[in-house]
Formats: sequence, structure tokens, C-alpha cells
Amino acid sequence: MTRVRVTAPRSITPGATALPSARSAADSRDAAEESDAGQVFVRSLIRTQLRLGVVVAAGFLLILVAFPLMLGLVPGLAESTIVGLPFDWVLLGVGIYPVVGLSAWLFIRTAARNEARYRDLVGDK
Amino acid sequence: MNPVVGIAAFAAVSVATAVIGFYGLRISRTTGDFYVASRTVRPWWNASAIGGEYLSAASFLGVAGLILLSGTDALWFPVGYTAGYLMLLLFVAAPLRRSGAYTIPDFTEARLDSRVVRSVTSVVVVMVGWLYIVPQLHGAALAIRITTGLPAWVGQVAVVAVVCVTVVAGGMRSITFVQAFQYWLKLTAMALPILFIVFTLAGSGTPAVAAASVNPTAVAPAGLYQNISLLVALLFGTLGLPHVLVRFYTNPDGQSARRTTLIVLGLLSVFYLFPTAYGLIGRMFAPVLAQSGQADALVLLLPGQLIGGVAGDLLSALVVAGAFAAFLSTTSGLVVSLAGVISQDLFGGSVRGFRWAAVISAVVPLGIASMTGSLALAGSVGMVFAFTASTICPVLLLGIWWRGLTDAGAIAGMATGALLCGGAMVAGAVLGAGGPPSWLAQPAAWTVPAAFAVTVLVSRATRNRVPRTITRLMTRLHTPERPLVTER
Repeated sequence: MTRVRVTAPRSITPGATALPSARSAADSRDAAEESDAGQVFVRSLIRTQLRLGVVVAAGFLLILVAFPLMLGLVPGLAESTIVGLPFDWVLLGVGIYPVVGLSAWLFIRTAARNEARYRDLVGDK
Repeated sequence: MNPVVGIAAFAAVSVATAVIGFYGLRISRTTGDFYVASRTVRPWWNASAIGGEYLSAASFLGVAGLILLSGTDALWFPVGYTAGYLMLLLFVAAPLRRSGAYTIPDFTEARLDSRVVRSVTSVVVVMVGWLYIVPQLHGAALAIRITTGLPAWVGQVAVVAVVCVTVVAGGMRSITFVQAFQYWLKLTAMALPILFIVFTLAGSGTPAVAAASVNPTAVAPAGLYQNISLLVALLFGTLGLPHVLVRFYTNPDGQSARRTTLIVLGLLSVFYLFPTAYGLIGRMFAPVLAQSGQADALVLLLPGQLIGGVAGDLLSALVVAGAFAAFLSTTSGLVVSLAGVISQDLFGGSVRGFRWAAVISAVVPLGIASMTGSLALAGSVGMVFAFTASTICPVLLLGIWWRGLTDAGAIAGMATGALLCGGAMVAGAVLGAGGPPSWLAQPAAWTVPAAFAVTVLVSRATRNRVPRTITRLMTRLHTPERPLVTER
């Protein structure tokens, strides 16, 4: 088990290295990432991840809005029952959660893939 | 209800909490342990702990009560509480973990290279935390009054005392075990009674008193604007909650922060099926609870109402235990994160300072709670989400994704959000008697865009203040961690 002890919580000193870095061995790669060429990859990764987040969020919100719209627009749907329970309750009280889980799972998979592609580009093993 | 049941249930939960807390004490030694459990907490433990901490009085009591009153309209509450974590996963989880910040003020200070921003963020975080603890204490007061007949303040003082003892003793490490235990306790306490009720009702063929769609009271359901505004508050409020964010530091890296969030989403989805079931059964079989103004106590009263006898008492004891687990876990989570913020800014981050800060963080809301009357639980927690969404959320989201954010923009945005949303809360409370207009009662739909707009505009106007460290920071936030080679 990897155990990392954090000994100094106030290690952030303004002006100097803005965020604490424990790995000095990786400094050369830090420099490479901060070069103009490295930043092209970093910027492209950030854009890709942001686009992914926005697409998943928009898709989820569309489905979220579609549920009550469907109930309102399809006559008799809200009054129908499913296994003895009112359909509108089942749709909003149960049916949304799988959509949340699926969106999250899709996001995590794609985000990890984006990061793997970035690693390949910068030659990280 | 038999008063012994309530007292026994509360005592059992408190003892269990304290025992697990002291067990944790033996493991936590360094300052790092005290703050964030030294980042050695496994995803399942961490996710259970996040679930335990997040499911507050509002989720345990308030949601079911609101569903009893407002029917399908109130289903947006559990959906929003869960979907808020989806937003957290999409936009915050991994970058925040990679920032290496312990608390939100740590993050804003590092991101904007400004001590002033740190102080302003600290003030906002402490306000959010206190606002959030108050409804927990109101919930405790309600539960103690209903289940034992003791005066309401006994519940509030008891919760604060237990929280202070556990937090002061063990810090984050013991709290992680306590919270994880409390998630499973809450789920059991919620699920067993309602399953028992459903099977009993189905077995005996008891006919429903009313249809699920029948409004049990004369109170009009919330309109479209209120539902949208509520969703905005819940979706964007979750990702700014201080006790939620501090948990992400306990993940070893960004990808595991994402995995933890996925597990949390699963845990929350399962949990929220049950308040929904209570609300539905309550509407069909016990609408009288809504008519007598006891909607918030629905979860506590339903087993006794529908089952009765020894079985009813036992199930009641279980829900009371779950309710106290909810008050204790959310309050202690908030106290830990507030104490982290207060002690770093006031006491220089020592363990001793953390203990003092913990006591301050718990006692101030006790004072506020004893002076204010109880509102509907889910509603008052909804206001806290609106406040977070209008203050911390814009700075966090823009700070992670937009290079152009400046310290001036962040401060202006937080101030705008706090003034608008805080003003709406105060105005709503003053106008309280006849019920405030919906745009004041549920302000997130206009305060959140306003805060975002001000943050962006002021940042654009002060473009020369973008910190020089920005390139390094954005790289750190968004690029995957390298595999650790030196540490073992």
C-alpha cells in the first residue's frame, strides 16, 4: 500500500511554486510541458475534457427535461400505472437514476481515454 | 411513540460514533491525518463516507416530507441532490484533486495567487458551513421533540456535543470511518422499515386512503419557475459544498477521484429510492400526517402509524437512529471542513488549533439554531445550495476551466452572489408570514447567472491581473499524474 504522509498543510507559499510538488524527479518533464510545444498538447487536452463534460451535461439535462415534457404531452401517460405504481412516480422517482449513472460511466471512460491519448503524445510511460 | 425508543436509539448511535471515532484516534497522528486522512482512504470507504456525510437531515427527513406535501414536484429534490454529483464529476472532481488543495480557500489562493481571495473565500465557506449546520440542528430538535417529548434544545446540544467529541478526538481519519458507517446505517434505517411496511400493507390488502396524485393539503404546488430554480441551485450548489470538496483530497489521484464519485452516485441513487417510497406511501396511506403539519416527521412517524405494536416500536427506533446518524454525520463533516479552514487562517494549521476551530465551528450554528425557528427542512437546505451555487461555484468552475479568471473577478463574483442570494434569503424571511414571492423564495435561477456574469466581466476588465503562474497551474490541474516511482 502506498502511504503518503502529508506533513505540512500550509506548504502553499504565494508567489513561489503555487502548488506543492513532491516529485522533483519529474521537473524536467514539467519544463517540457510548459514549453510552447508542450502547451499545445495541454491546451488541447483541456479543451477536449471541457467539451466532453459539456456534452455529457447537456445530454443529461435534455433527458431530464424530456421526462416531464413526455408526461405532460402524451395524454394518459401520467395516469397509467406500471407494476401497480403510478407511472409518473416511477419515471421521475426511479427512472432518472440509471440515466445519471450511465452518463457518469460514459464520462469516466472517455475522460480516462483522453488522458491516455495525452500521455502517448507527450511520451509518458 | 414510546420515549424510551427515541432515547435508546440516539444513545446507541452516539456511542457507536464515539467508539469508531476513538478507534480512529489510534491511527491518526500527524497533522496530515487530522486534515485529510493522509490520502490513504480506499475508494469504497471514501465513497461511503461522502455518501454518509452528504445525506443530511434534508435527505433523511425533509425529502420524504416534501414529497408527501408536493407529490411528483418534490421528486426534483432527490434528483437534483444526485445530479449535483454528476456535475461535480464532470467539471470538478479530477482537476480539484490534482490541484493538491486541501480546502476551497487553498484552491482559490493557489489558483489566483492572492491572499485576499483566500480570505474572502474563507469567509464565504464558513458562512456556507454554518448555514448548512443550522438545518441539521433544527432536524435534531424536531426528532428529539417528536420521539422523546424532551425539549427541542436537548437534541441540538446533544448533536453538537457528540460532534465536538468525535472531531476533536480523531480528525478526518476517524471521521472517514464514522461517516462510512453512517451511510450504511442510514440506508438500513431507511430501507428496512419501508420494505416491512410495503410487505405488511400488501399482505393484509389494506386499501389506500387516497390516490398518490391527491394533494393532502391546500398548499399550492411549486410552479415551473421554482422547479427550474431549484434544479439550478442543486446542480451547481453541490460542487461548491466545503465538506464535499475536502473529501476529494483523500483520493490518491485524479482518476480515483472520478471513480469515487461514480460510486457515490450509485450509493445516492439507491438511497433516494427510499425517501421517495416513504413520500408515496405517506400520500396514499397516511395523508393525515401532512394535514397535521408533521410532514417533516413523516419518516419517523410512518412505521408507528402503519405497523404499531412492538414491531412498530423497533422499526421506529431504527429510523430514529438513522435520523440521528444523518444529523451527526453531516454536522461533523461540515465541522471538520470548517475547522480546517478556520484553523489554517487563524491558528496556523496546528492540531491544537484545529481542535479549537472545531469547537468554534460547531458552537456558533448552535447559537443561530436556538434563535431561529425551524423551516421546512428540505427548503432551508435548498437555500444553502442556492447560496453555494451563487458564490463558490462560479469561482471554482471558472478557476478550473478558464485562464482569464482574475482575483478581482473572483472577489466581485463572490460578493455579488453573496449579496444577491443572502439578500433574497433575508427578504424572504422578513416577508415570511404570507410566503415570499417565488423569485425570492428560490433565487438561484437569477443569482447564479448574475454571479457568473460579474465574475467574467470584472475578470475581463482586469485582464492584466491574470497570475503569471497560470500556465503551470492549468497544466497541473488537467494533466494526468505520472505513476509514482519514488514512494512505496
